[in-house]
Amino acid sequence: MYFWPGVVALWGALLAGVSSAVIYLRVERGRRDLLPLARTTFTAFTASIVAASAILMTLLLQHRFDVSYVNSYSSADLPLHFLISTFWAGQEGSFLLWCFWGSLIGLFVWRSAKEQEAPVMVVYLATFLGIVAILCKQSPFRLLPPPSPADGVGLNPLLQDPWMVIHPPVMFLGFASLSVPFSFAIAALWKKRWDGWITRALPWALLTFLTLGTAILMGGYWAYKTLGWGGYWGWDPVENTSLVPWLFTAALVHGMFLQRSRKRHRKINLILASTAYAAILYGTFLTRSGVLADFSVHSFIDLGITGWLVAILATFVVLAAALIVWRWRAIPAAEDEETPVFSRSVLFILGIAVFCALGCVILLGTSAPLLTRLSGNPSQVQTAFYGKTTTPAAFLLLLLSGLVPFVSWKGETLSAFGKSARRSLFVAAGLTLAALALGARKPETLILLFTAFFAADMNLRAVVRKAKNGKLFGAGGYFAHVGVGLMLAGIVVSGAYARSERLTLPVNVPKKTGDATLTFLRVVPGTAQRKQAMEVKVETASGKSFYAYPKMYVNSRTGQMMANPSIRSSPLGDLYVAPQQYDPGQPETIGRDVRLVKGTTTNIDGTGFTFRDFNADRSAMMRGEKTILVLTDLTITPPDGVNHDLTVRYVFHMDGREPEAEELDVPGVPGGKVSVLAVSPNDGAVVVRLRGVSKNPAEEFHAATVESLSVDVTRKPLIALVWGGFYVMMAGGMLAFVKRAREARRAVLEAAEKHAPLPLPVPSPGPALPAHTRSSL
Amino acid sequence: MKKGYWIAAALTLGFLGFGLTAFQKTLTPYLTFDEARKARGVVQVMGGLDKQSDRYDTATQQLFFDLVDGNGRRMPVAYRGIRPGNFRDAISIVAIGRFREGRIEAEKLLVKCPSKYQGAEVEKAYSSAPPPGKIS
Repeated sequence: MYFWPGVVALWGALLAGVSSAVIYLRVERGRRDLLPLARTTFTAFTASIVAASAILMTLLLQHRFDVSYVNSYSSADLPLHFLISTFWAGQEGSFLLWCFWGSLIGLFVWRSAKEQEAPVMVVYLATFLGIVAILCKQSPFRLLPPPSPADGVGLNPLLQDPWMVIHPPVMFLGFASLSVPFSFAIAALWKKRWDGWITRALPWALLTFLTLGTAILMGGYWAYKTLGWGGYWGWDPVENTSLVPWLFTAALVHGMFLQRSRKRHRKINLILASTAYAAILYGTFLTRSGVLADFSVHSFIDLGITGWLVAILATFVVLAAALIVWRWRAIPAAEDEETPVFSRSVLFILGIAVFCALGCVILLGTSAPLLTRLSGNPSQVQTAFYGKTTTPAAFLLLLLSGLVPFVSWKGETLSAFGKSARRSLFVAAGLTLAALALGARKPETLILLFTAFFAADMNLRAVVRKAKNGKLFGAGGYFAHVGVGLMLAGIVVSGAYARSERLTLPVNVPKKTGDATLTFLRVVPGTAQRKQAMEVKVETASGKSFYAYPKMYVNSRTGQMMANPSIRSSPLGDLYVAPQQYDPGQPETIGRDVRLVKGTTTNIDGTGFTFRDFNADRSAMMRGEKTILVLTDLTITPPDGVNHDLTVRYVFHMDGREPEAEELDVPGVPGGKVSVLAVSPNDGAVVVRLRGVSKNPAEEFHAATVESLSVDVTRKPLIALVWGGFYVMMAGGMLAFVKRAREARRAVLEAAEKHAPLPLPVPSPGPALPAHTRSSL
Repeated sequence: MKKGYWIAAALTLGFLGFGLTAFQKTLTPYLTFDEARKARGVVQVMGGLDKQSDRYDTATQQLFFDLVDGNGRRMPVAYRGIRPGNFRDAISIVAIGRFREGRIEAEKLLVKCPSKYQGAEVEKAYSSAPPPGKIS
């Protein structure tokens, strides 16, 4: 059973999408009169996808728990913003979100594609139709068989965080907008229009760079402040499969700049646009098909769409590869004027090579379980693999981005470069010496830091130079590189010089770690607005003190223990206090706790205890009281061998009150007492507490334990640079985006003025167009 | 220009080669208990928790427990750290570490618990605590 309006909207989208693609194909074949119809059907496609999304959102907001998707991911008690985010909490919803962005972006694409509209739109539609088909098969509108549940399962508590509300929409916006450069590239191969597409597609590639990057950062920041393992990046498949498309997009953005400025290197971009899109599809396949189920902390479930995902991936990879191979000789390579090796062009190409190689290596690591399964034992790489491989790549990228501002397209002599680089070399050396003085020792750290500072300063000077000329919007790339330098310096320092210690803090006893003294004071009970937290007083060496409140609470819906760290941030570093375990302590107890498994006899110093069965009386619960009465039937066989049956009462309160345990005399054992301590119906076992049964009284004595809190205390020096550098990088990306979007708009307007297909640069291997100097970037 | 491409190709191939070596070195296979006993280097084993066996040593802050595989064979595990939340409810536990002195010394535990979310089980990773004072 399905909620039919939603199903109609999805099938409508599939129908409209296929029709639009077919009509565009006929337009392409010369029926230009059909163009308005093609556009109308595309608008219908967009309208259907938007309608399907609106229907799903309405069902969620209306708490229609008879809809399977609504039931699986939301519940009545969620506040509005979390309720909205349940839209993309599951696979079907996130696929729909992907299509939602795609269908909206499509409205802009047809307006900007102009003479390439028909081929571009055919490919563009194709990139979404596969997903729409999956949605038709795996519908988010499936109904549950009646009766409909009163409440839903709820949203995973870990995802109940503002960052996780906006992370997926930003991520899928990036995924969707990468379809644009891919479609333009395929259309370029198809129609042999080698240059015009770059201007039009570049803003979309930059949009993906910005949105995917922002989504990755949000995910990392969320992990840092919520999960409590002290890091922001775990090299998990889910993280990697968003990082790799981002790296390829970065490569693509550089390649497109290069082609735009030099009017050559066309093959690179055709390959990069295809690879970046394939990376998204491959990542989707890895994380949505269940192939990595045993290897990740994220849960993957196979919805039965693995075959579909493989088919979509294979279709596009084969299509792109075949077209590139087929057209290879037709792609004009510019006549080679000899460019010296030390030129901006070569630096760009090297940078692109490093991005791609790094992306491939990370994919290799992520795919390890798949690859090794082919040859026997499925294996996984340790996270050390990623550290080992990214370090040299980071060094190379920093080095290249440091060289690029003062090397022109036509090449530079080393001595001229040395002159312009001198200041930055001094600055980098100074800062590295400062790091050395502050305790940085590892050679690879110092080298990376030096390169990062060098890159940041070189690019900062380039930004200043541009700004002085009044061309700040042209400085986006340099600006982004300043951010890269700062961010990588932050990553290196906060990673290499983090100090971590696990402390057990007995209540009110100060403990020293590093230069801070921590005292666990009390548990601050939770309220409706605030989760239960632990109050820890932190005194620093300088005499300052503050209170940290790491949260530790039981999720009321799942009974899961949740722990969030407390982070004290300063520009110099964070003090990260992650709670691990809270021990409420217990008074001195007398008794021996014995676990009895149903139907077996456990002998304690000559007396046999057999657990026969238990009966739970839920009648009180039925009346609305939060109480379960459990009657445990035991057979006791004292040393005299006579069996005695005994029924012990145990009352469990679900509202958190102490359970009531009746204590009975053990028949045949003078002074012996038995009571039930815990029952676990799933294991068919009970734990009973025996007193006066053991011959040795010491076995029944347990000293009191003190209330204590275990925490991991981590100092993360300069981690603010990671976030700060990222913001700078994204600000640079924004500048570039604004500039390139204006250019694209101008190109579209020019094309529109001419009312005719753009006179494209003739695809003949003629002499290169006038080489632009560095000021054109 | 050609030269630039050659350098880029050499750089890419060199990096990929380096990546492949690192890949082979850091590969941690899923092994059966018997294989794990013979293996050198980091391995991962999976099994169910023997709920009678787990014990936390407060003095050394170590957790000891036995994993039991489908054939009832046992593998003792030592883990430097606190008993993870939901440890007792785990459907299966993956221990990643080296086999030393008759047991796996786990650097990392993946605890897979039944969850009502997303219709399947959830896994959580736990990393062992750094030895006190060590710069990690």
